[in-house]
Amino acid sequence: MNLSTSRSIFALVLLCAVTPLGAAVSRGFNQLLDAVVRIDVREVTFEEGGKRFSAGIGSGVILSADGLILTNAHVASPRAVEINITLASLEVVGAKLVGWDHWTDLALLRLDMGEVKRRGLQFTHAEFGNSDKVFAGQTVYAVGTPYGLTRTVTRGIISNTSRPFEDLRGINGYETGSFNTWLQTDAAINPGNSGGPLVTEDGKIVGINSRGYNGADNLAFAIPSSTAQDIVSGLVREGGITRSYIGLVPGALRDLAGFYALALNIGVLINSVDPGSPAARAGLRVGDILLSINGRKVDGRFPEQLPPIQNLIASQPVGSVLKLSVKRGNDTRDFNVTTEKLESRVGEEWAFEKWGLSVRKVSRSDARERQLPDNTGVLVIGVQPGFPADVAGISRDDIIMKIKQQPVTSLEDIKAVYAAYEAKPEPTLLEAQRFRRVSLYILKP
Amino acid sequence: MNLRRHLCFFLALAAARHADASDIPALWAERVKSTVAVEFYVETETDRRPALSFGTVIDSNGTIILPSAAVDPRVSPDQLKDFKVHRAGETSSVPGQYLGQDNLTGWHFVRVDPKQLTGLVPITVFAAKDGAPSPAPALAEEVWGIGLRNKDEDFTPYIMMSRIGLIQSLPQRSAIALHEVAAPGLPVFNQEGMFLGLATSSFGQSYMQFSRPDRGATPVVLVNVEESSVFPLAEEVLPYFGRIPKSVSGRPLAWLGAYGLEPIDPEVAQFMKLESQGAVVISEVLEGSPAEKAGLKDHDIIVALDGQPLPRFKPGSVVVGYVDRELAKRLPGDLLAVSVLRGTDRREIKVVLGDEPKLIRETSRKYFDRLGLTVREFVYGDGVALRVKSGESTGVVAHFVKANSPVAIAGLHADDWIKEIDGVEVKTFDLAVQKLAAIEADRDRGEFVILASRGGETAVLRVKLK
Repeated sequence: MNLSTSRSIFALVLLCAVTPLGAAVSRGFNQLLDAVVRIDVREVTFEEGGKRFSAGIGSGVILSADGLILTNAHVASPRAVEINITLASLEVVGAKLVGWDHWTDLALLRLDMGEVKRRGLQFTHAEFGNSDKVFAGQTVYAVGTPYGLTRTVTRGIISNTSRPFEDLRGINGYETGSFNTWLQTDAAINPGNSGGPLVTEDGKIVGINSRGYNGADNLAFAIPSSTAQDIVSGLVREGGITRSYIGLVPGALRDLAGFYALALNIGVLINSVDPGSPAARAGLRVGDILLSINGRKVDGRFPEQLPPIQNLIASQPVGSVLKLSVKRGNDTRDFNVTTEKLESRVGEEWAFEKWGLSVRKVSRSDARERQLPDNTGVLVIGVQPGFPADVAGISRDDIIMKIKQQPVTSLEDIKAVYAAYEAKPEPTLLEAQRFRRVSLYILKP
Repeated sequence: MNLRRHLCFFLALAAARHADASDIPALWAERVKSTVAVEFYVETETDRRPALSFGTVIDSNGTIILPSAAVDPRVSPDQLKDFKVHRAGETSSVPGQYLGQDNLTGWHFVRVDPKQLTGLVPITVFAAKDGAPSPAPALAEEVWGIGLRNKDEDFTPYIMMSRIGLIQSLPQRSAIALHEVAAPGLPVFNQEGMFLGLATSSFGQSYMQFSRPDRGATPVVLVNVEESSVFPLAEEVLPYFGRIPKSVSGRPLAWLGAYGLEPIDPEVAQFMKLESQGAVVISEVLEGSPAEKAGLKDHDIIVALDGQPLPRFKPGSVVVGYVDRELAKRLPGDLLAVSVLRGTDRREIKVVLGDEPKLIRETSRKYFDRLGLTVREFVYGDGVALRVKSGESTGVVAHFVKANSPVAIAGLHADDWIKEIDGVEVKTFDLAVQKLAAIEADRDRGEFVILASRGGETAVLRVKLK
């Protein structure tokens, strides 16, 4: 065997490896490859009592000729101070955040088109497929930047088309997954794949790769493109998604249908009602069975069916009145519930660096969760050792309720006192509580 | 032989039997007669757990005190069974009677018939000499005390010896020795054999002594639970021997209703010009409590009780224990003047102390073996813990959940709050018991449903019975 023969065999092998994609679809797939980018993000964090910067790598996919890039909310957030995009051409260009939605783990960026034009950079954009049409067993490809390995393609199948996967602290403490189900795939997804597309053989986006089980063998999850398309248009329009909230936590009925004497395929068990929420005020109770919303029958026998029902509520205009038909015991009655704006548990964060104190505003839903009477106060999320807050004895999870004997109703209250302290440092009295126990502290210069 | 000679002879004999002051083994042998080992059982739904504690004899009626840690505070007195009292070093025992726990000292009182268990010597015999009480120990003074081995060694008594390292108010005046000096609950003596104090269970004291104010840090805890190096002094112990509970419940118990007392740290005290005394913040004034009725408010700072400023302790956190003890010394109906700082105002508020609401250990309970749970009454303290207003406090609490039982498989945990059974609100304990009893008795029932709440979240649990 001479050298030329062995080389040709190698070429043949290479050819075989390429063929499964098929010559006909490779153009679409190649176009997709050219639309996938690496995203380097530097963001500010308010941990440990100061402003810190952290860096991360993710993936994204260009959606339009005017430079919109879709990625995950956990890759690029409003805390990003610098976003750099590595195009398929390996050229690096800056980008800005256009919109963010942690509930679906999606974020939208826009390339610095001025810079793109100035430097004459080229890129293509990808197209959405239809995630409602994918089926378990269908071959899919994940493209992204696992561990910084730019433009890595992995192959797998759709393992499940509607996996429920709610995680109330999933996105750096923010809630996610309540309003959509996920595509599950066994295509290898590793850290850095986040935000990259999951595509069919013709290069159409059916999902945005988002998360996987650590240590498991290829159990990964992607946001379906049908959800992503809705969110993208909302983010382009408003920079965020406004949702309605009524405070019901649904549970799957499963075979309790018999116990509650329900017709088959109808009803959602109300597993919990947030105290003080619109639903609680309207008189809804745990153990009630929700039969319909504004006349539309709801069926929540299985966990997979719950996210769309939650989304139905969430997608109503804020302040609108929902007519909920509910079965309680043997009675069926209607409740009118006025929706509120859905808020994250995670409030705005800030760091007071001279005190070595970082805080987060207590949000309404945080206050509910912690059973506080209202959302007065800021939660301590970090203190820097040796700085005044630490020396005074303040620690993580304290809730600062008063400063200089005045209630802290917003971050601005405490910022104002801090500004005065910066100008003229003097001992400052704080009142804080932790697990309902109240303590006083002095911040000393 | 006249009477006078008789008497002289008797006195001489008695003197001869008394040990020499420096003869510690002889002193020890006499004082061991003040110590006993007490065995009893804690009966639960599914088992009987043996328990052992050591106690000190306090009078000639056979009254014995055990340290507070002898019994888990959640355990109801009627779960305590079959008290048996052994003299140190003896396998045989006689039955004892549980008299209850004293709220102020935390001691559990047990009594044996001194005719059945002869030879016991009350510790008070060693608490005074020639009418003078035991002196307080001095720093570096050598002291010794008694330990008892375990049952497999017939509770053989042994001696421990150490020197005083520190005397501190915690809030009782307590000596801390360099090494273990006695088993918890057993006495400590000086070189003359005078009673100096009673060793406490090491956990509470070491927690106080070695924990640091940075909350969240794990306190250093002595691992030796059988021997202790800390003992409140005789002056803190002897005056309370008369506090024998009038009932096993330990009532009457005075109640103020100020929840979450937190000490003021020294820097804040200085800022508030309170540096020479102690102070505590009231985190919450409880609904319907005497404190609320008298007009105390959340976040008031208590600076004095009955006109007496709170003392300053080291560490400062001890002041909370001081306030608790001051309350425990009083009775329901007593008038207590509480001086507080509210913002910059100082005011004195007169509170008529109330009766402590029913405690968990006093609740009615009922066990359902087939279903696998014990339910108990929902009490005031549950409402406080769950932040439920007293008007909303219906339901019962799952006091015990049997492993792998139908309710356990359905997901019920101990301490879950059961609000509904089979879709019916269980407004009272009796109603819950009635419903559960009917379900338990009905062998044809395939399932039932519990609505339970845990940590503010509720869930509908389906219990399969077949």
